Amino acid sequence: MWNYYFVLGWRSLKRNPILTTLMILILAIGIGASMTSLTMLLVLSGDPMPHKSERLFVPKFHIQDMRGYKAGDDPDFQLTYIDAKNLLRDKKGKAQTVLYGISPTIDSGRKDLPPFFERGMATTGDIFSMFDMPFRFGNGWSADADDAAANVAVIGPELSEKLFKKDNPVGKTIRVDDRDYTIAGVLDTWKPTPKFYRLYGTEATSRPEQLWLPFTNAVSREYRNNGWNNCSGDGAGPGYEGWLKSECTWLQYWVELESASDAPRYKDYLNAYVAEQKKLGRMPRPEKLQLLNLREWLEDAGVVGRDTKLSTWMAFGFLMVCIVNLVALMLAKFTARSGDIGVRRALGASRKEIFHQYLIEAAVIGLVGAVLGLGLSWYGVHILSSRLAAADDFYQIDFKMLMITLTISICAALLAGLLPTWRACQVRPAIQLKSQ
Amino acid sequence: MIKMQQLSKVYRTHLIETHALRGFDITVKEGEFVAVTGPSGSGKTTFLNIAGLLEEFTGGEFWLDGVSVKGLDDNARSKLRNEKLGFIFQGFNLIPDLNLFDNVDVPLRYRGFNAAERKRRIEEALGRVGLSSRLKHYPAELSGGQQQRVAIARALAGSPKVLLADEPTGNLDSQMARGVMELLEDINAQGTTILMVTHDPELAARAQRNVHIMDGTVTDLTQETQHAIRHVAETA
Repeated sequence: MWNYYFVLGWRSLKRNPILTTLMILILAIGIGASMTSLTMLLVLSGDPMPHKSERLFVPKFHIQDMRGYKAGDDPDFQLTYIDAKNLLRDKKGKAQTVLYGISPTIDSGRKDLPPFFERGMATTGDIFSMFDMPFRFGNGWSADADDAAANVAVIGPELSEKLFKKDNPVGKTIRVDDRDYTIAGVLDTWKPTPKFYRLYGTEATSRPEQLWLPFTNAVSREYRNNGWNNCSGDGAGPGYEGWLKSECTWLQYWVELESASDAPRYKDYLNAYVAEQKKLGRMPRPEKLQLLNLREWLEDAGVVGRDTKLSTWMAFGFLMVCIVNLVALMLAKFTARSGDIGVRRALGASRKEIFHQYLIEAAVIGLVGAVLGLGLSWYGVHILSSRLAAADDFYQIDFKMLMITLTISICAALLAGLLPTWRACQVRPAIQLKSQ
Repeated sequence: MIKMQQLSKVYRTHLIETHALRGFDITVKEGEFVAVTGPSGSGKTTFLNIAGLLEEFTGGEFWLDGVSVKGLDDNARSKLRNEKLGFIFQGFNLIPDLNLFDNVDVPLRYRGFNAAERKRRIEEALGRVGLSSRLKHYPAELSGGQQQRVAIARALAGSPKVLLADEPTGNLDSQMARGVMELLEDINAQGTTILMVTHDPELAARAQRNVHIMDGTVTDLTQETQHAIRHVAETA
């Protein structure tokens, strides 16, 4: 019988097309708005590396002096060059990396492609395995290259295509600020969402950088941080050397441990490190050391802002308003069919069967509304993507979102259909048959 | 086939009580063709609705094909209605957005027949009323007489024991009415019990038996009265 009810529901769409169109539009707009907001919320609150987010950590500890300090203040989220270098040297994690943003000029040497700025990242070779970054060609650079501050680079797929089209450029050179770098590898498409590895000084939804250079090399070339610098207190001394020796925090540090259970041991190491630095006259603030795993880090950074949550609530509130309107329209539509209901009842349909038939009809409206709503969601997400992620379709409506949209739409239509369907079941066939 | 004893039906509002049927006794045997007559508001349609299990009664007893329908829930009443009864209405009551095939299919769907069985029954029923060539037509494309024939085919498709007809020719001209009446007689001749409410004395006269309802009570007319009705019909 369910197939029969579905066919009847489908045919019923053609009946009273204006009312049907209005119902579908109302539902689709509600679904479109709520799913666009939900997509954004899910993307931002998602775990970008679910298989190892429990093992990736960001250390946070107080570094600055007492000026501006209020009891209970959280430590800074970045480290000084001194501390980052010390932690890297100690190698207490399975892997560790440091990173900061750079914005060098790239000269292709081609007349048709004038020199251009490219967003890049100075980091260490460990990063590629730590964050499971996929390679289209070649690999990352070695620890030796880090130690030697070698002129090697890993480039992103967009930059690779811009400079070398579809060719494999591994082994070729790329000219960065008047120096040639040998290309060690080309990344494949990699869009962690949110962009967890560097949340400050960039958008959580922006596309990954296209040029990756060794941290030691970038420092040797005195590249400044293209991002968030915190220089409270005395600030930095003169020159780049003064910058490196300062208590300014500007480096994002990540450590990967063998397992989540190693976190207390690593925290002990950090406590010991801080105690040692205090003995050297640094880090005067009462210590509030934190070791945040990836999910805690996203939460701490407030990636899912209050605005995002609020807009999602508002969108679902709007969906509720749409459902209320849908109830009124379905009541009108179902009431107009009291005659049919009377006939079906006379011919042997029980109230339960009428209930099923009209509920399925509501579900069909939900299904069509979902398809249209999905189109509107896609458009809304596309608009958001272009606004937030530099013309890159960052938010994708995947299979999971497709299923969520269908489920919410059909549930909304079923919810809206409950009262009209119940009313349809109450039709007294004797009265309807006589009045026809 | 139908047996009602001391049946009553009271419609209540917060102001008044209306006794539509009171002390209503009737027995209709299998294969009978019974015409039910009476003035407007006498209770004919209420009787037919109760007989058709479309309305519940207030008191008394009612057996349909030996089954007491008192206290049956909606599912059981619907099943009984679907299996034992066929309806023909004055206004035809076909579903406008279903073609003839699908209209006749409606009661068979609720009966749970498989597709092949339904198809066989639909084609047979529409063939019996002379509309087998119009399976894909919609009700609006047919004349009133043809629509009533479809309604009869729909009522017959499930092989009901009783056919309940409420003014089946009320919306038809005399020629079409005659055709429909001949069809009903033919159906009755093949063993289906027919209970027909009518205002038309000519039609009533063609039934085997006449019952008259007045103020909610039933009078089984005598053989002589039937002759009188026939006489009126012939002289009219």
